[in-house]
Formats: sequence, C-alpha cells, structure tokens
Amino acid sequence: MPDENDNWLEPLLEDHMSREPAEFDFQQWANKYPDEAQLLNRGYEDSGQTTKTRIQFLWRCIMQSRVTRYSAAAVVALAMALVLLGPFGTPGNGGVVLADVREKVADIETMVIRGTKTFMHPGDDGDVFEFDGMKCEFDLVKHFSKQHGFTEKAYVHGNLFYRITFNLPKQQTLIVFPPYKKYLRFASTDEVAKILEKFATPNGVFDLLLASDYKELGRDKIDGVEVEAFEFQSPGPFREILPKPVFDIQSYTGKVWVGIEEQLPIRIEGNLVIGKSLMTVFNELNLHEVNVLDKYNIELDESIFDPDPPEGYTEFTFSDILQVIPAEAKAGAAFMGLVPAGFLFWKRRRKRATTRPT
Amino acid sequence: MTGLDDQTLVQRALRADPESFGELCRRYYPALVAMADSILLDHHLAEDAAQEALAEACRGLKRLRRPESFGSWLGSICRNVAKDMLRQLPKQRNLGRDPPRQEPACEADYRAAALTEAVQQLPPHQREVIFMRFYNEMSYRQMAKVLGSTEQTIDGRLRRAKKSIAAYLRRKGLGSHGVL
Repeated sequence: MPDENDNWLEPLLEDHMSREPAEFDFQQWANKYPDEAQLLNRGYEDSGQTTKTRIQFLWRCIMQSRVTRYSAAAVVALAMALVLLGPFGTPGNGGVVLADVREKVADIETMVIRGTKTFMHPGDDGDVFEFDGMKCEFDLVKHFSKQHGFTEKAYVHGNLFYRITFNLPKQQTLIVFPPYKKYLRFASTDEVAKILEKFATPNGVFDLLLASDYKELGRDKIDGVEVEAFEFQSPGPFREILPKPVFDIQSYTGKVWVGIEEQLPIRIEGNLVIGKSLMTVFNELNLHEVNVLDKYNIELDESIFDPDPPEGYTEFTFSDILQVIPAEAKAGAAFMGLVPAGFLFWKRRRKRATTRPT
Repeated sequence: MTGLDDQTLVQRALRADPESFGELCRRYYPALVAMADSILLDHHLAEDAAQEALAEACRGLKRLRRPESFGSWLGSICRNVAKDMLRQLPKQRNLGRDPPRQEPACEADYRAAALTEAVQQLPPHQREVIFMRFYNEMSYRQMAKVLGSTEQTIDGRLRRAKKSIAAYLRRKGLGSHGVL
C-alpha cells in the first residue's frame, strides 16, 4: 500500500538526493591498494602473503588465541621469558632414579643458574645472528625462588641488556631494558600465570621435559663431578605453550647431566630450531642455550624479585612494537626472540636519532 | 561475469582471479558510497570510505565463512570504516565551527536546506535506507542484500523515515499542503 507521503515526498527526495551512480574504477583502486591487488593476483591459497596482510593475520592469531588473548603484552613477555632450559629436567632412570631427582628438584627452595644464550643463523656453521652490529650472545644469570618467583638477567659484554622478573605472590611480570631505561609490566591473569609457572618453576619445567622423548648417554664427568647424561628431543610439550604463528619451535634437542651423588641436574644444553614466526619476525633462527647450576638452597633477598620498575624508567608500550614490526619485517633485519622489544625499541631509537634535526 | 552470483565470484577471487573481485566491487560500490555518505555526510569522504572498505574486504576475504553473504559482510565493513573515519574527522567539524550558514536566497534553497536537515535528523539506520534508496535508486532487493535485512524490514524503515521527514518539513511550514 503506498505511503500517504509518497506522492509529494518521494519526488522531492529523489530530486534532492539523487546522484549519478558512483563509478568504480578497479585499476585506480588497485593502484591505491597495491598490497591488496597483489594478494588478489597471487591468490589466497598462497601462504606467501604480503608483509602487511601476514602481520595482520598473525596479529589476529594472537588476539584470537585462547592463551594470548588475555594480554597482548604477555605474548611478547612470555617469549622473552622462555626458560626452556632450566636445570630441572632429567628423563633418565639408570644410575639416576627419576623419581628421586624429581623429588629433590621439588624440594629445592632457591637456585642460581648461570649460562649463555646464543642466537644463530641456520646451518651447521651458522654465524651468530647480528642485529644492528650487535652479536646476539648473552650471558645469563637466573634466580629461582619457590616462594618469590624468578628473574632472568641477560648481559652483553658485561652490560645488562634486559631483566625479566616474575613475582609469584603478586602475579606481576616486569621486563626492564636498562640501556633504554624502559620497562614493560603487566599483571598476570590466571591463564598467564599458569603459563609462566610452566616455564618458571622447577616443577613446571621438569614436567615439560618429562613429556619429551629421551635416551641415556651414559656416565661422564663434569668438573670432577660424576654425572649421568641424557639426551632428549621433541618439541611437543613446548609447542603447545605458544601458538605456532607466534613462536614456532620446530625442533628441540637437549642434553642433561645429572649429578650421581646430588641427584640433581648440574648442566643442561639445549638447541632449538625456531621457524619463521612473529617472535622472530619471520627469521629462521637457531637458539643454543647452556645452563649450569651454580648454587641452590641459598638465601635470596626478596628485593631480587621486586616487580616495580626502577626509578627514572618509562613504560614501553606494546603499540610501539606494532608500529615497528611491519617495517622491520620488510627489511628482514629485525630480530625478536627472547628480547624482541628491546631490539625493536633500539632500532626505533636509532632511527629517531638519525632523523632528528641538528 | 556480471551474471555470476556473489558466491561464485568470491570463490573465484580466492583462486587468483582479480577480475571477479573487481566485479564484486563494481556491484556494491554505489551502495557502499551511499551508506558511507549517510554516516559521513560528505560524498568525497564516502568514496574514500567505500574504497577502504573494499580493501579491508579484500584482505579478509579468506575469512568470509558464507560467501553468499558477501554483500551484507561488505556493508558491515563499510559502516565500520565510515564510523571510524567520522571519529577521526577534525574536531572543529563536531564543535560547530562550520562556515556560518547563509540565509536561503530563494524558496528552492529554503526547501533544500530543510530537506537536508530533515534527513540529517533521522536515526542512522533510517538515514541509511533513505540515502541508499534515493541516492542511486536502489531496489529493495539490492538494499536488503547489503544491509543483511529483509525487504519488509527495509520497507518499514523507509516508511518510518519518510514519515519523520514529512513531519519535520511540515513543522517548517513545508509539505504537501505547504509551499511545495
């Protein structure tokens, strides 16, 4: 039934609002959006998306992930806090009784671990990965406390490059970058705390290692201490921790030396092959880490696990990273692993410095 | 290609057939511009919004679960893009710093100004259908496709919108029994 207003209003509106139909020029649009046009030309089945679309896709993965959606910042922080090779695992049972080792590990109140962490290009004689002239070799010091949490400090040529602090009672994680006087801090939700616990507590890492395949390598001596060696491999348990697009652990092999007398892991070496993923900004990298048990059951000052940023530091926001990621990925020069935010921020600072008017 | 349905075109576009996506763009572009114009009230910005919406749709095409609903999916994207653009418009536009209004020079100007105001005072979903209907003379079927509604719903919205416009014009001394 016609509206009572139709007779007079419709012609009026037609006259007032009518326009020539908007013409769409596909070529012009394609010129304006080259990445999208390229995507259309290549087809969506091709996994080689443009950097822009790939970043967007990966970012969606992060946000959609059950694990990571709670805190985007936590994703970066978790990758930085990967304590995959804490000296807690021993999968063997020959001279070393697994149950005894586990029990001993569970009883340890505190530990100090020292070691190294080196990122390399793939290949047998892969060079150490460099970022802006800096070789990515870190000296590590880790403190574990069943009561307070853990910290990881990474040094380059004796200078502290980053410190990660996970305060267990306060469920707070703090990452500081002394060279830039920047910090990243977030409260751990239950989910995040659960993940951190997997990495950061002896029992958590122990359980992860126990889920791996292993073989006995026999007895050996390290610094005069009689040990039993084991080799383990299988990224399975580790793969589940972070989504593949975020941190793609393709293979994981490691060796554990357990002191016969102490019934404790004394040294762990691990090798990870990390595929192109967000945390490596699409670089394939190998990570070699060595952890040596330095001391255990010693008094550790509670202040070591202080989750508050030092005075004079300013917050490093996650949006800073996002702004930089596409450019860095395109250049193929960026590196994100255990210290991605630091590298990226460093890169930005250098750029700013070079563009600042004199 | 113009005879192919949306679903087929989407599937072809996903298999490296850019022209299929081009056809989808041509098919929906006028509706998108009208929709964006109803939000932005600026034709040039509306064209920008429509093109950006198509770019977003292109990027997300693989995620489209129901290709047959491409039109309404695209419409939703366009609406969001236009709203985002509106939020980003310079503040002066929202602070009433527009150029001072000129007094209508003649009756036609007065009527045009009143009509513009009458359309602008409509709620967004009614203004949207008015723009789409009278901008490019879109059919109810076309509108329903982009808006993801039924033709009955579109008809109801249009009736209410026109009723509201008529009432506004009457209050301004215009209308079927007024000076028109």
